[in-house]
Amino acid sequence: MWALLRLVSLRHMLGAKLRSLLTLFGVAVGVATLVGISAINRSVLEAFRSTVDTVAGKADLVVTGSAVGMEEALLERVRAMPGITHASGALSVVAAVDGRPGERLYVMGVDFLDDGHFRDLKGVDRDVGALADDLEFLNSTDRLLLGERYARERGLMTGDALQLQTPSGARAFTVHGLLRESGPVKAFGGAVAVMFLPSAQEAFDRGGRLDRLDLAVGEGQDVEAAREALSTALGATLQVERPERRGGSVQKMLLSFQMGLNLGSLVALLVGVFLVYNTVSIGVVQRRREIGTLRALGATRTLIHGLFTLEAALFGVVGTALGLVLGRGLARVALRAVSESISSLYVQVNAQDVEMGPWEVGLGVALGVGGAVFAALRPASLAAAVQPVEALRRDVAVGAGEVSLRSWPVRLGALLLASIYPCTLIPPPAENFPVGGYLAIFATLMGGTLCAPLLLRWLHRLYVRPAEWLLGVPGRLAADNFARAPIRTAVPVAALAIGVAMAVGITGFIRSFQASSEKWINQSVPADLFITSSARLAGVRNNPMAPSMLDGLRTLPGVTDVDMLRMLPHDAFGLRIFVVSVVMDVYHRHARPTVLEGRMPSPEERAQGRVTISENLSRRRNLHPGDTIDLPTPTGARRLTVGAVIVDYTSDQGAVFLERARFTEFFNDDRVDTYELYVEPSQREAVRRAVTERYGKAYDLYVLTHAELRDEALGLIDKAFKVTYAMEALAVLLALLGVVNTLLAAVLDRTREIGLLRAVGAARPHVLGLVAAEAGLMGLSGGLLGTGMGAVLGWTVTHAVGERATGWSFPYQFPLATALGMLGVSAVCAVAAGLFPARRAARLDVVEALAWE
Amino acid sequence: MEVPALRGATLHVPRGQFLSIMGPSGSGKSTLLNLLGALDVPSSGSITLDGREISLLPDAELSRFRRERLGFIFQFFNLLPTLTAVENVVLPQLLSGRPREELLKKAHGLLEAVGLRGRGHHRPDELSGGEMQRVAVARALLGEPALLLADEPTGNLDSKTGAEVLRLIREATRARNLTVVMVTHDPKAAAVGDRLVRLADGVIVGDEAVGAAA
Repeated sequence: MWALLRLVSLRHMLGAKLRSLLTLFGVAVGVATLVGISAINRSVLEAFRSTVDTVAGKADLVVTGSAVGMEEALLERVRAMPGITHASGALSVVAAVDGRPGERLYVMGVDFLDDGHFRDLKGVDRDVGALADDLEFLNSTDRLLLGERYARERGLMTGDALQLQTPSGARAFTVHGLLRESGPVKAFGGAVAVMFLPSAQEAFDRGGRLDRLDLAVGEGQDVEAAREALSTALGATLQVERPERRGGSVQKMLLSFQMGLNLGSLVALLVGVFLVYNTVSIGVVQRRREIGTLRALGATRTLIHGLFTLEAALFGVVGTALGLVLGRGLARVALRAVSESISSLYVQVNAQDVEMGPWEVGLGVALGVGGAVFAALRPASLAAAVQPVEALRRDVAVGAGEVSLRSWPVRLGALLLASIYPCTLIPPPAENFPVGGYLAIFATLMGGTLCAPLLLRWLHRLYVRPAEWLLGVPGRLAADNFARAPIRTAVPVAALAIGVAMAVGITGFIRSFQASSEKWINQSVPADLFITSSARLAGVRNNPMAPSMLDGLRTLPGVTDVDMLRMLPHDAFGLRIFVVSVVMDVYHRHARPTVLEGRMPSPEERAQGRVTISENLSRRRNLHPGDTIDLPTPTGARRLTVGAVIVDYTSDQGAVFLERARFTEFFNDDRVDTYELYVEPSQREAVRRAVTERYGKAYDLYVLTHAELRDEALGLIDKAFKVTYAMEALAVLLALLGVVNTLLAAVLDRTREIGLLRAVGAARPHVLGLVAAEAGLMGLSGGLLGTGMGAVLGWTVTHAVGERATGWSFPYQFPLATALGMLGVSAVCAVAAGLFPARRAARLDVVEALAWE
Repeated sequence: MEVPALRGATLHVPRGQFLSIMGPSGSGKSTLLNLLGALDVPSSGSITLDGREISLLPDAELSRFRRERLGFIFQFFNLLPTLTAVENVVLPQLLSGRPREELLKKAHGLLEAVGLRGRGHHRPDELSGGEMQRVAVARALLGEPALLLADEPTGNLDSKTGAEVLRLIREATRARNLTVVMVTHDPKAAAVGDRLVRLADGVIVGDEAVGAAA
């Protein structure tokens, strides 16, 4: 076997260099995408976990509240509880760095005057232990210690100034010293600053508040029992967790986002596996006589089967090795985009680096090599079935591979297609994990692929006349050739179709989502100007502003109404929901939200605790008008009654809407994320200028018009899928390699035929046109099949994945423009891919071609 | 509908005999050769070689049988294009797991015997038709088979080269007391053997001694 592999297979691979390289490249890119995405997903989670772990340090338990934090007084209460040996409070703020768009610093407020049990800070140029006596540091509100990595990268040294955004505008801070990158300074990718707790509270407008309590229980104490006791004592408004558990909840939240990426990367690998199938199949067809000879000379079926399997495995091994290297590079490039998306959609992460761990290597080897071997199963069986008598045949048969409705792959394909709808009905086994939707996507892609040869037979009939009319005899021959080896042709066509289907399907989902969001923004967020700070859209990255701007804004000429929006990420009902607060009277004067159940509460009802909730919260927790909810708040659990369920796309986890006055009371928080201004149309530009002049620079404000806000929100959706788009493009690229592969083989097989054509008078351009036209037909077919699959896929992703994962509903819209575009791209790119084999065919020497054998 | 290619053809070939088979297209020559070469199995009847019934053997056994007891020479040479001449010669025996060095030494000797001294490292596309067929002869002889089967071995060669290849086969098999069954269209080629069987429509229509045996 090894002798044969070395003597026969390897030499064939080296002989058909281009085809082998294409195949290796296909496997490599597929594996690279897969392991790259896996590494990114892991490193994002690890970045979050390491922030949690390193910040928590030696703490046995961590107490956290909502995003507004908790009262400082709580610390004394907890300290006095039995079993707690050490307790320390801290503040953490993610602050935008002024003048460096997109850059954020994780600022920790630490109490240097407590017992220091949890403190794990080491100074580079300063003794951290002596800070408790450093009055310059303790008495200032603008001094901070900076992580050495961040300082080095920004060229900052002790004594330098650094501008950060705070709720009351941009502020200058002085670097008091540098900290070694160990313990908590490793958090947030090293972009960490540490301040004295009261200074940080003052600087960031968080007077008397803490974000986290770190607790230690006595030696030998049962931590879990202590956790339960504390949890009961503190009530539902505060979370008492072991530090290692906190990563888990984020993992759950990111599950559907990361599954989407994984799915995209699997598709790229699938297309890579198709290339292996294609190459091995072509090898079997072209080496039929050779296989027959080997069999006649005594090679067993098992040996032949093993030989072709080994060839594929070799492609798998080398391709996977390349893919692992390539994947690391890919991951580095894409990490920032994914990290940004997660930061703007879910939770602040700062993943800096990505490494290939044993998991990625294992995954790459299992799916890369396994996929290649799997791809070779059928061609290897076909090779093993070659009869020794074939060695004696005078004509080398190019296996046409008849396709019929009755063949098992077509039947299986039809069965898969029929199972799409039933799959979408499978209820998700876990929140955010719509397994039925994923099965339906698989059924669509595999079903379409398996039925592709049959579709090609039908398409062939459609192509013959137009092709002949358009291109004459070459067109006619191209259409005939296209259907000559339907299975071989079907492979690149199906691969193209998968790429196109993903593009059309995902775009359909995104457009459907965007159309619904746009309608929602127009109806529910109708203000004319929006003023936000730090981040263009209020969300997890926003730095809220003080409410002091209200009066100034109200008096601007042309301003008719001002609403104050606060959107607080908040852990409640086992979800990270948003508590959204507005001035309801202002809101009701302008907005027309779509009410799905109940009716919007009246001012009296609101005073009695009737609230509005989002559609997805209603679905996720089965809440309906009349139901009561206990909303945990820093001032205790508040019993509220659901008054109405409305369409709302604020958060994929859910949202509760509160009157601003009640929110301020419940959460002890009067800050504002967005001022929403209603302005007379003629005054809009003037108001915008006035706001920018008066507050813009000091507060680092963004002033957006309604149209800009809408574009920003819709752009955020596009941005979240940027990496997915890139993976689709890769899949289409790989599929085009399949077209080159197949046509190169076809040209080789038909050398004599092409020679004959040339002998009877066909000119080189005829031959060129013939092969290029065949490529174009492949591209067109891939586009048509892909568009069909994409329509189904889009519907499935929208309803069975998107709606199940987010709880939102949005009607599916078929992206006609994208579909037509992809159809064109697919055909044109295929012709371009076909030019190389076409030129090879056109250059064949007539005499040599005829004498071939 | 089943169309039998051979009907009731009974043939006994003694050891060391060089048997030529002639007949028009469709007479059943190739089928007979395929059956003798264990490349195909008969729908009825039996094929015995060295006293062993081979028509009932399973595929793996048949493969081994071909490897160890049979040698093949094809009309189109059927050399593997990726292998050099000497590698083509040793390939079947490599499959049997025999040591490579010993095989290579023997193969070089055989190549020299068939007049291809110094050509062992050439690929098939660097050899002429006659040379390719000589390589095939060497390949067939290397395993010291009991039976050598030749399917129009001169069909793709000019008459001079064809005659040389035939002479080579004749001499090499006589020296080794090898049994040969050769299918041919060419009466001159057929006359090289000891015996000529004529087939028509799947039936033996003639069986005579030829050449020196006549």
